[in-house]
Order: sequence, then C-alpha cells, then structure tokens
Amino acid sequence: MTTVVAPSTAATTAGRGRLRSAGTAGAMVATVALLPFVAFLLVFAVYPLINLVRLAVSNTAVQNAVFVSEFTGLSNFGRVLTDPAFWHSVLITTAFVVLTVGLTLVAGLALALLVDRAVVLHHLARNVLIWPAVITPVVVSVLWLLVLSPTVGGLNKLLRTFGLPEQSWLNSGPGAFMSVVAVDVWHWTPIVFLFLYTALKGIPSELFEAARVDGATERQILFQVTIPLLGPALVVVGLLRLVMSIKAFDEMFLLTGGGPNGATNLISLDIRSQFFDRLDFGYAAAESIVVVVATLIIVGSAVLIRRRSVGGAS
Amino acid sequence: MKSAEGGRRIFPGVEIVLGLVMIIVAVPLAWTALLAFMPNRAIVSPTWDFSFWLGNFKDLYGPGTAFAAQTVNSVLLTAGTVVLCLVIGSIAGYSLSRLGPPRWITLPALALAALLPLVPPMTLVPGLYLTMNALGLLGTVAGLTLLNTLFNLPFAVLLMKSYFDQISGDLREAALVDGASEAQAFMRVMVPLVRPGLAAVGIYTAIMAWNEFLMALTMTSGGTSSPLTVGIASLVQPFEVTWGQMAAAGVLVSIPILILAVIANRQIVSGLTAGAVKG
Repeated sequence: MTTVVAPSTAATTAGRGRLRSAGTAGAMVATVALLPFVAFLLVFAVYPLINLVRLAVSNTAVQNAVFVSEFTGLSNFGRVLTDPAFWHSVLITTAFVVLTVGLTLVAGLALALLVDRAVVLHHLARNVLIWPAVITPVVVSVLWLLVLSPTVGGLNKLLRTFGLPEQSWLNSGPGAFMSVVAVDVWHWTPIVFLFLYTALKGIPSELFEAARVDGATERQILFQVTIPLLGPALVVVGLLRLVMSIKAFDEMFLLTGGGPNGATNLISLDIRSQFFDRLDFGYAAAESIVVVVATLIIVGSAVLIRRRSVGGAS
Repeated sequence: MKSAEGGRRIFPGVEIVLGLVMIIVAVPLAWTALLAFMPNRAIVSPTWDFSFWLGNFKDLYGPGTAFAAQTVNSVLLTAGTVVLCLVIGSIAGYSLSRLGPPRWITLPALALAALLPLVPPMTLVPGLYLTMNALGLLGTVAGLTLLNTLFNLPFAVLLMKSYFDQISGDLREAALVDGASEAQAFMRVMVPLVRPGLAAVGIYTAIMAWNEFLMALTMTSGGTSSPLTVGIASLVQPFEVTWGQMAAAGVLVSIPILILAVIANRQIVSGLTAGAVKG
C-alpha cells in the first residue's frame, strides 16, 4: 500500500514531465541505452557522408575492385553546375514537384471532405483509399505499366474498343511526363487525404453548426471556415509532400527510366545513372551534395515561412 | 455512435463521386490481378480475351529462376529490420524519454535523425556504396537489413519516445524502489505498457522494408542476392514479353501488404501520420 502512495506524491512534486535521473550513474545508463542508435548513425550516416564528400572532391576510379581517389578540389562541382543536362534535370524535377505537390493537396483535400460527408461508402472508402500509399512502389509502376503500355495496356484496349485513336503514353516526352505525374498523384494522394481527414475530425462540429445557424452557405463554410481551420494541417502535409516529391525515384525508374530523351529524368534518376551507368563517381557525389544542400535550403525556408506565419505557435 | 451516423443525411452526389474515385484507385489493382491469371497470348491480344491459367505463378517459381531465393531474402530482410528497429528504437526512445541522457550526445544524434528523412536517399547512395564496399556488405541481405534499419530508425526512436512519454514515470520509480534494476524496470514494466507503440513501429517498418527498392537496386547485383522488389524490376525489360509474370509477381508482393492494410488499418494509419509528422 505504501509503495503505491509514495510514488504518487513524488509525481505531484516532479510533475507529469520527464524525470531526469540525477547523478553520473543515471547519465551513464542513459548514454549506454542511446549507444546502439548513435553507433548506427556514426557507421551508416556520418561515415557515408564523409565518403560522399571525399568522392565529390576527388577523381575516383575502380582499380582491382578498390576505389582509388585522387584529390581534385572543387572541379566536380564545376562540372555539375555547368552541365546543361544537370539543369535540365533540375527543371524537370521542379516541374514534377510543383505539379505533384499541388495536385495531391487539392485531390487529398477533396477526398477528405467527400469521405467526411459520405455515409454509405464511409468505412469502405477509409480502407480502400489507403491502398495506393502502402502498396510496394515497384508494384505501383508495374500496375501502371500494365495500364499504360502501348502493347498490352488496358487504357489503349479501352480506347480501341470505343473506336478512339490509341496513344503512346510513355513514348512521347510530354505524355511520359504527364503519366509520371498522374501516377505519383494516384500513389500519394492517400497520404494527404489521411492527414487532412484526421485534422478535419479534430475540428469541433459546433463551429460548422454555428456557421450554418448564422446562415452561411456550404461554399462560404468551405472557404471561410473549413479550409482556414485546416490551414496548419495543409502546411504540414504540404511540407511532407515536398520532401517526398524531391525523393521520387522508384516508380519513374521502372515506368520511363528517365526517358524518352530525358523528359522524365528526375534528379534522383540522374544521380543513379551518373554513378552506376557512367561510373562518374565524382560527378554523382558532387551532384548529390548540391541536391542535399538545395533540399535543405528549400525545406528549411519553407519551415521558416511556416513558423513566421503561425507566429512560432507550433 | 450508430444512431448518430444513421441520422446523417445521405448526399447522392458525394457517394457517386467517392465511388468513382474508389474505382480509379481499384482499377489498376484489379487489372493487374486479372492479367496475373492470363496467358501472355491473351494479354497481348488486341481484343478482350479472358482465359484463366496459373502458369505465370508456376513460371515465376520454376527451375532456374531467382524468385524463390528473392522471396526468402525479402522475408529475412523485413524480419531483421523490424527486430533491429524495435530493439534499438525502444531502448533509445526510452533513454530519451525517461533517462535524460546528456545533451552533447542527444543534440547531434537528434539533429542527424531529423536530417536523414529529409534528404533524398539517392544522394546518400554514393557514400553508402563505398561504405558497404569497405565493410564487405555489398550484395548481402545483412547489409540491406542494416540500411533499411538506418532509414527507419529515426522514426522508430521518435515514435517510441512519444509512447514512453505518455506513460506515467511513477511506474518506473516504483519498480526501482522495489529493488528492480534499470534494465528490469524497462523490460518488465515499461516495455509491456508500450505494446501499441511497438505494434505501430513494427508494422510500419515491416511495410517500409518489404517495399524498399532503391537500396536493394543499388547495393545488390540482382539475381539471388536481391529481394523481391528488384526481382520484379528485372522482369520489366523492353524486349522480353513477361507481362503475365510481372502481374503475377506484383500480386504476390502486394498480398501481404494488403492483408496487413485490412487487419492492421489502425496501426498503419497512426504509423503513416506519426511518421510523416516526425519526418
């Protein structure tokens, strides 16, 4: 009995927050418990990053299955930044990011509002709509290859059935780019939907009822109540989608391989082909560092803008 | 709950549009499932020809193919990643939540853990490739398991920390007062209380490891050294007609995920949303 009473009084003095262990023995235990995690980061994150920098500032070749590097300073960075193919890849990636982030946000918001209103399909939809986000990305490209392929694609069979001209979706530059955007939207809208739906459920229903009582139309409620209240969630999921979209690789690698003629050569695809196809290790490493720095600047400034607009509230 | 929902107005327009969206989601899945059970002759036929056969699955696992070995690799890789993430994630999460480790170690570790999910994984490949080469881990399932653990660990640690944060510290104090060691208090008292967290982390990392493609593609040389994701990719070749096998492989790889998505929907949703916020 007393053991039950004693801790609860201790809790009131210490509060509900964390209980810091006093003394060096406690700190030792805490440090030891953190060691596996830290060791992991050292071996598989810090050391590879050092290797990445080393590659970027050297001319590296494989001799007898060993990487031999010769220091060349910043010349690899110079080669990357003056390469029109690199800037083409940046342009393609930028267009891809802007389109896919924008479209998934709009589609996800629409789905969240629809599911919230739905009665008959409510439960089924909440389950089915998550499928694209959990399914293996490689399988997503197989799915769409089987739909878009000129020879076996279901879409062309459908067009043929209705007597419409067939399209070579993946063989023309703009067609391939729009296909890749469409597949990405199909793939990741569920994440946006999930997020916004959860946020929507967190808004007290009295707010909507009050607006209705005050005579607001559905359109006014949507644009002046719902969307502003979803603002913070929209920003968070927008940031998330931004990060995800810059990372895109799996689906495009199989669907188009970056082609035709580089029309879908997203930056991740370009790094892979520089490293593994052209064996230009220094170029690939320098390009990687440029992309990491650019990503951190973009995401960092987006976070800063968000902080400023929310006034540092969250 | 039920009466409240039963009283809600049904908007036919909403249901119709939502139904159409669900069809758009389901059609590529259904089309692939259909092709998986069709011979190539029927698949490439310009008209609608539906014949049923199981040959695609038989061919996948036929003699001389790597698909069986790749299935084993995928299972080992997924199991290993889940175990490592759960063990390291819960110990580190517990330390961060309850033990108050010194700042000189937490600040750089957390900064790195926050940074890791932000940068495109491809940018880390050149450095990782050299590292795996130096450690002799290229083309091994163990190497892929470690890399998958790396990419899932930040999420596992932070999610486990947030689960430990929700448990009252009194319980640990009580166990310590009763003479338990810090390790015993952790194993016997704290870990059983965060089972929902372990489930969410386990299911989420299982899906991520099972689905992982980029590291598998770049760190193995294909064939029997690769997991299933690379196996499927190798079926996608412009001049070889393996459409039926492709579809069959896609179906086989998706089935465990879709079963999980149905039975563990709640954990997946909490994993997806929490993982996203931490990221």
